[in-house]
Amino acid sequence: MEYAAQQIINALSFGAEYALLALGLAIVFSVMGLVNFAHGEVIAVGGYTMVAFAALVTANPLIIIIGAVAATALTSVALERVAFRPVRYADPTTGLLTAFGVSIVLQNLFLLFISPRPIAVTSLYFLDAPVMVLGVQISSLQIFESITTVVVIIGLVLFLQRTTLGLAMRAASLDFEMVRLTGIRANRVFALAFLISGLLAGLACIFIMARRGSVDPHFGFNPVLKAFVACVVGGFGSLPGAVLGGFLLGAVEVAMLVLLPQEYGGLKDAFVFGIIALVLVWRPDGILSPAREKGDKL
Amino acid sequence: MTLTRGQKRGVAGACILALILISIGVMASLFASNYQLRLVYSTFVNLIVVLGLQVFMGNSRLTNLSHSAFMGIGAYAAAICVTPVAMKQIALPDAPWGLNAFALDPITSALLALVITGVIAFLVGIFIVRMTGTGATIATLAVLVIVHSIFLYRTDIFKGNQAFFGIPQVFSLTSIVILAVVVVFISRGFRESAWGVMLRASADDETGAAAMGVNVTRLRLIAWVLSSLIIACAGISYAFFLGTISARPFYFNHVFLTLAMLIFGGMRTVTGAVLGTFAISFGLEVVRWLETGPVVVGIDLPEVLGLSGVMLGLVIVLTMAMRPVGVMGDREIEELFIRKR
Repeated sequence: MEYAAQQIINALSFGAEYALLALGLAIVFSVMGLVNFAHGEVIAVGGYTMVAFAALVTANPLIIIIGAVAATALTSVALERVAFRPVRYADPTTGLLTAFGVSIVLQNLFLLFISPRPIAVTSLYFLDAPVMVLGVQISSLQIFESITTVVVIIGLVLFLQRTTLGLAMRAASLDFEMVRLTGIRANRVFALAFLISGLLAGLACIFIMARRGSVDPHFGFNPVLKAFVACVVGGFGSLPGAVLGGFLLGAVEVAMLVLLPQEYGGLKDAFVFGIIALVLVWRPDGILSPAREKGDKL
Repeated sequence: MTLTRGQKRGVAGACILALILISIGVMASLFASNYQLRLVYSTFVNLIVVLGLQVFMGNSRLTNLSHSAFMGIGAYAAAICVTPVAMKQIALPDAPWGLNAFALDPITSALLALVITGVIAFLVGIFIVRMTGTGATIATLAVLVIVHSIFLYRTDIFKGNQAFFGIPQVFSLTSIVILAVVVVFISRGFRESAWGVMLRASADDETGAAAMGVNVTRLRLIAWVLSSLIIACAGISYAFFLGTISARPFYFNHVFLTLAMLIFGGMRTVTGAVLGTFAISFGLEVVRWLETGPVVVGIDLPEVLGLSGVMLGLVIVLTMAMRPVGVMGDREIEELFIRKR
């Protein structure tokens, strides 16, 4: 019983992390149709900012966290301004390949100017402490992670439902031309989408860092790959789909960790992706994909 | 059999490209040092990969990121078949299923490797071709990761990141040039065939093409399998020339490299694939030389490792921003000579 409860909480916290990342990808995709391969590098920027803050400024974890989130948000917005604006109205393949190129450039810049080796950050270890809840031992990190994700989802829903800009963003995912005709600035909508995406990346960065304790140039790659898969399973561009896909992926991953024998540990990801592929046999466009006719948006 | 005008032009264009490739091969064998010969050879291997990639990406305009995995499958399958038993007993002492107790001649091994790659590509392709653009790309990325993790995990068969050695070196520069010429004809032939034309039409307007009776998923699957077979050829010739392979070259760095080549040259044409491969290969050698920190006109440049990666990424970003269709765009080589009507 206790073991089962622990594993369920594990699945929830894995799922929460993937959901945070997948939301960041989905919000950009829904507005602009861009598959943001550079998301992982945005997270890595957050990680390196933590290194810089911890080494140069202060040991206060709160300031380090705020600094990292601010850095990812700024990086994300800056990338939109510098790299993605020229391909804003291009077809999805062009955007995808651009993002892919940006990701390669950033990764190699980290290699070039920082270090190919992992750099340790110890100031966030305090987040990961064992606590007892109702007789079940879990990590405090898992609680923080789940709560943060729930708060973020509620906040995002409120923002999208209750504010004008939120409404504009939802409308932009359906018909961007119409949004512009109503007098809302395109630049503002795009910048906001990237800002939110960057904030989400920053939050995810904190949790990844608390778990791993070090940052290297490929820091964000694996989590973001999972988040991409979560997006595809949930239906690319659908925000509820991203959350659903994230939690589904977390559940499958923990199930694999529990069920697979120890010696198959190296193949965990292969099995996870394989199972997820079966979902796509059932619904090739993802579970919650909008039932939109092809050629609708000309 | 009568050829359409596009097909006649295709033959002409492929002949011009073949001449260029052969003359590069002849020049290399006449003037190049041993080290340069190896560079030229690996450029030709990459050329075959890029041509294979063009068959799928250029005609269906879906982005494939898993091609290096299929190159690896082809290379490993051929290597396991062809390596002499005595060698395999040392290299793979605990391989399962009697994999280290048989050896075939190179041609049978290559054919067997093609069949294996083809079957795997077909099974994977069934999933891939049904998805819409973005989903398909992410799925190919997942395929790359899955295949790589299997290479790394089954060290008893693939030796993971260690070298799989003892493969007979049966390929030379001549054989790879011939193979590249054949592949140029195949990929240009596919582009101008009825299938190729229908597939390109479906990339321009999926609904419209489907309404005209084009079976989009089936055509994509055909292109996907053909593309994987061509890429497997590249993998086999890589293994047959070097004599040793490992899992590392069949992963992300190679994906970036070949993708940058195709994008820069222009993925819509076979000419673009050839141009991109040679341009990027040459440019990269210059950048690698700069990376080592040479002395240029009296100035001692610092060592900058990672510069080649930055340049590759920049090539992709700038091509996409300034000319998304690549240098060649929609023009094949013969159209530079024939007057437009």
